[in-house]
Amino acid sequence: MFTQHPTLLIGPSDWDQTRMPKDEFDRRIAALWAAFPDASQAIVFGSASRHAELAYLTNFVPKLEPGIALLVRTGAPKLLFGGGPNMVGAMKPLTFITDMAPLNALAKLIAGWDSPLLIGGGHMASATRKTIAEATSGTIRDATPHVWSMMRRKTPIELAAIREACTILDRAAAAIRNAAQAGAGITTAVLAAERAAIEARAQDVRTLFSRDGGRTLRPFEALDDTRADPLQVYVAVRRFNYWAEGFTRLSNAPDEAGELAKALLRAALATVKGGTGIGVLADAIASGASPFQIHPVTQAAFVSTIGLSLDPPTGDEVFESGEVYSVRVGLTADAGQHAIVSAMIAVRDDGNDVLWQSRIA
Amino acid sequence: MDFHDRLADILARMREAGLDCIAALHDGAHFIEKPDPVTVLTGFKSLGPAAAILRSDGSSTLIVTPSWDAERAGESSVRRVIGAHDCIASLGDELGQDARIGLAGMRFLPSSMADRLGSIVPAAQPADKLIFDAARTKTDDEIAHAREATRIAELGYRHMLAIAKPGMTEDELAAELKWQMKSLGAEDNFLLLCAGPHNRAVQPSTGRRFQPGDIILAEITPSYRGQLAQICRTVTVGEASAQLADRYALVVRAMDQGIAAARPGVPMAEVCRAINAVLEAEGYGEYCHPPHIRRRGHGLGFASVRPGDVALDNDTPLEPGMVFMIHPNQYLPETGYLLCGEPVLLTQTGAEPLTAEKAALASVSG
Repeated sequence: MFTQHPTLLIGPSDWDQTRMPKDEFDRRIAALWAAFPDASQAIVFGSASRHAELAYLTNFVPKLEPGIALLVRTGAPKLLFGGGPNMVGAMKPLTFITDMAPLNALAKLIAGWDSPLLIGGGHMASATRKTIAEATSGTIRDATPHVWSMMRRKTPIELAAIREACTILDRAAAAIRNAAQAGAGITTAVLAAERAAIEARAQDVRTLFSRDGGRTLRPFEALDDTRADPLQVYVAVRRFNYWAEGFTRLSNAPDEAGELAKALLRAALATVKGGTGIGVLADAIASGASPFQIHPVTQAAFVSTIGLSLDPPTGDEVFESGEVYSVRVGLTADAGQHAIVSAMIAVRDDGNDVLWQSRIA
Repeated sequence: MDFHDRLADILARMREAGLDCIAALHDGAHFIEKPDPVTVLTGFKSLGPAAAILRSDGSSTLIVTPSWDAERAGESSVRRVIGAHDCIASLGDELGQDARIGLAGMRFLPSSMADRLGSIVPAAQPADKLIFDAARTKTDDEIAHAREATRIAELGYRHMLAIAKPGMTEDELAAELKWQMKSLGAEDNFLLLCAGPHNRAVQPSTGRRFQPGDIILAEITPSYRGQLAQICRTVTVGEASAQLADRYALVVRAMDQGIAAARPGVPMAEVCRAINAVLEAEGYGEYCHPPHIRRRGHGLGFASVRPGDVALDNDTPLEPGMVFMIHPNQYLPETGYLLCGEPVLLTQTGAEPLTAEKAALASVSG
């Protein structure tokens, strides 16, 4: 899901080696080298808005300016950070990499590298990409798709982080319910959710909400304390770099759209297991949606993998065991009701575990 | 000046440059140092990649992703809005008939977008200067929003003084302040906050816990309806030493001189020189340059960051209606880095600080 990207990432994000042990990253980097046996170096880019690959391999999430990890098959990795040498104190806690330098050292450090892997290169500015191409005589190889394929199946450690994010998501959803039941307006309820997430030590929290009963979603732009019924809110929370997301919907009136969406979601979840075709599920939801149409928010995104990114690349065709997905069912009618519900699931060979699911009240 | 006056200025500049249209792009990753030409042309702050097209006849088109955000985009000044799955492909379709095209925002795009765009409109010429020059002064609405953002920043600072204490982490305080200012209406916040007994710079927060003797640095920068304002403040955990109080007073004096130097027609560099002169007179000349200090202030976006940095190499003449930061933010060997700065509005008579209370060294219980 797209959310409004903040100008600075604020929230607890120091590397916690009790939750994300160094071994976990060692295994990932070793798997990368194994997949590219003729590669000796890798250049991994991340920005504050696009950094899943960098976080996957180093735990480093740039809060402000971009960062680049230089990985070598034999030897210690190096982390380059933006913002000047005085920023090093704020960078050290974010990763296990201890050898750090300002980003402007990039060209010198990679000069003469032959056929390095480039990961996340599409996120970097053209000038940076040109610097890399020149320093490596244009020999770079894009390994980004491979890293995304590595990121699909979650390890127990990753799953534990996502479960913690789901716990925080549940608290945020409860805060919305409590605020709405106490008569709060839209943004007061949204702020209550964000507060609950912050108090539960969320690394980040993003919200979208509807002012028109779920027909459209929007980010926080200004205080708006009108009461909405139904109230439709999207919340995403992050913990140990891993995201969880979900839709909360509250209605005091008979809610045909919400009930049908919930039933379709339940039916969808009952069918998901390793090997289930994603298209099959989409067709099943679409065919059961009448008299509603599929909501524009979920039209092109009724499932997506989730983990280190809220809007990962699309294109998956089947659910695979070990993956974590957000499954969303959205319904709309031109002059009628609208509803979006969702669930976070971990896929198994013989089914799935529901990590979080919308409650409709 | 209002939004339409600015648009008229941009159209006049387009005619002068012989452009049929301007295409402005932004990737949706909003950042204080990254101007957003889409917002300049439309007033819209996007969720994802977005493009705005302004044609010489005054008609405009806004392309937004995700496609479901089109209705919100329709609340902007633009009549024609396209909700797209692929911003660049839609832009290419829209630009099919235009001959002389100016492009703005290319430098800040991720290469995956910039490369595709370059192949679609290879003959386009840069139009960043054209757009951002026209946005060098703020509209009446933007000035009003800057005032409100400043008010929120000052309330955030008061809240900080009320809750900061030893044992709390930088992250906890920053997250709490961001939330509190959002509850006052700030939709975003560039809140740099860190602490230590001898800071080298102001940095993003970490999990470090405040300790007695720390100096907390805070660049509190809420955005209200897309307009940023910033206050720079320094707070000690426990009572400040006499030396620290004295040196902080020096930095405030330097800031006062910078504010006094900012008048219509004066090059921005003069503001920097006025600040430096106070510090150089006290023997801190070597600390008035990198790596200790890069600039003495900056413009305030998100839309446009003009008039640019308060720096010796910025000869931009100051004009009424400009809003920018004046912050000496000085590293001193005796005290470490000290933050002190106010947002100002340039008027016919000089720089008007937007704050109700000027920076002063404060303390919380140690």
